Amino acid sequence: MQDPVIEARGVSFAYRAGSGPGSGSAKTPHVAVRDVDLAVRRGEIYALLGTNGAGKTTTLEVLEGHRAATSGTIRVLGGDPADRRRIRPRLGIMLQDSGLAAELSVRESVALAGAVSGRRDDVDKLLDRVGISHRSRTRVAQLSGGEKRRVDFAMAVWGGPELVFLDEPTTGLDPAARDALWTVVDELKADGVTFLLTTHYLEEAEKHADRVGLMHAGSIRRQGTLADLTEGGLSTIRFVPPGALDDIPIPLAGTQNGLAVIETTDAQRDVAALLAWAAGHGHPLRRLTVRESGLDDIFRALGHEAPGHEAPGHEAPSHEGANL
Amino acid sequence: MNAIAIAESRMLLRNRLVSGCAILLPLALGLILYASRDTHKPGGTIAGMQTVLMIAMGTYVTATTTLAARRQTLFLKRMRGAAVSDKAIITGLLLPVVAVNLVQIGVVFGILAATDTPANPLLLAVAVLLAEAMFTGLALATAGFTNSPEHAQYTTAPVFLATAAASFWSQAPGLGGPIAVKRALPGGAVAELVSTAWNGGSLASVPVLLAASLGWAIAGVLAARTYFRWEPRR
Repeated sequence: MQDPVIEARGVSFAYRAGSGPGSGSAKTPHVAVRDVDLAVRRGEIYALLGTNGAGKTTTLEVLEGHRAATSGTIRVLGGDPADRRRIRPRLGIMLQDSGLAAELSVRESVALAGAVSGRRDDVDKLLDRVGISHRSRTRVAQLSGGEKRRVDFAMAVWGGPELVFLDEPTTGLDPAARDALWTVVDELKADGVTFLLTTHYLEEAEKHADRVGLMHAGSIRRQGTLADLTEGGLSTIRFVPPGALDDIPIPLAGTQNGLAVIETTDAQRDVAALLAWAAGHGHPLRRLTVRESGLDDIFRALGHEAPGHEAPGHEAPSHEGANL
Repeated sequence: MNAIAIAESRMLLRNRLVSGCAILLPLALGLILYASRDTHKPGGTIAGMQTVLMIAMGTYVTATTTLAARRQTLFLKRMRGAAVSDKAIITGLLLPVVAVNLVQIGVVFGILAATDTPANPLLLAVAVLLAEAMFTGLALATAGFTNSPEHAQYTTAPVFLATAAASFWSQAPGLGGPIAVKRALPGGAVAELVSTAWNGGSLASVPVLLAASLGWAIAGVLAARTYFRWEPRR
């Protein structure tokens, strides 16, 4: 791979006994991240998706340099992400939890983050760009959750860092605010900024991410482009059964909520056959829909996998950076 | 560091509860001690107790509360994600607290000095700074096992009471006891050092008092390095 901005090999992380999310009162260390291999190219958006407790945030925090990996090697922008003098001025970080000071105003908070970032920017222009300038003088304590996320985002992208980590950036935002945030991300990407982010909104990952990594039980189970991940997946054709289906040319998978369901690996061919059959018999095909296999299908299947299980037919990430 | 210190000053002044504890209570303590002093005795006795109590309240309790609050809201974690060192973060957070406390001590000492001027201002300044170092270190250490600002009311009580008691035992007239033990207790030596600097006279005990005060300052810093945590325990 040419010029990887993030390169992680065999990275694992365990919370000490009794500490860390999901550890409860356990007396043994809680392994949150297991043998993760990840490489992110310059200028791409890489989305890390996963079930709850899959280890996405911990992975991000290890790659940000917030936590030291228990094992494995990490190179971020060619160095150690915990190097605050050389690497951190090139990074923007948006944590999952706010970390904002309630007593400071929006403007003061962003200006403080800028002052300690090692980069320069215009605070008023930036607040305007992320759509929070109307609350510039408001104290953080008085902001809604969505407004705080916008402040967080402004802090992360202050001064145009080379690499930005975003941990669930759009959680709590209304649809318009989500769109506005993604517009800024896409603009920065066009300027060459690299993004590694986590999200629970699969449609955002499908729309904006160049590549996706799917995590479950601490490890990345699959990664690649959307096309890579959904290749070979079943598309679904649904329609209201027009009476007799005895001579229908394609076998039905069943019925669901009063709709006939066909699962196929070649939607175009089967829709054409279905339409020809309906036309030939004078059947109306009401509420006909075709849905391609998407991330949500793969995502749901992840939840049924046991820890350590690798799905057949999908290449697990290797130390050589497969699927990259 | 400057940006963090300025932001922390704003936060300190805007939070009425914290600013009341940080500004009014230490001043009140110092003035109560001043009002209750024996006017026939030299001012050093009361200055020693003022120093320990005012720094214990103004720096130790306030800094512990502030650090616990900043950690609880993940402000410390956010700062650690930036391009500043841990030392700059801690210095920026504690500078306003210590600066306010030094001004308070300056005000109270100024009032006391109107009737009884200190004999050795340089030694007095050294003693105050050593006390600040000790209490700052202990605040960082105490903050390590203080989960929230509210929790600080309990976690700071042992050190606050112990140092206050040591300074009283060391300075209050008529209280006996082995002098070595008084000096070995946290706050005991520094109270006696302030008293000696204020009253003047023989400086024979100063090296021992300086060593004991410095020892506690170093102990405070070591405790801070051992027990301070940047993120909440979950």
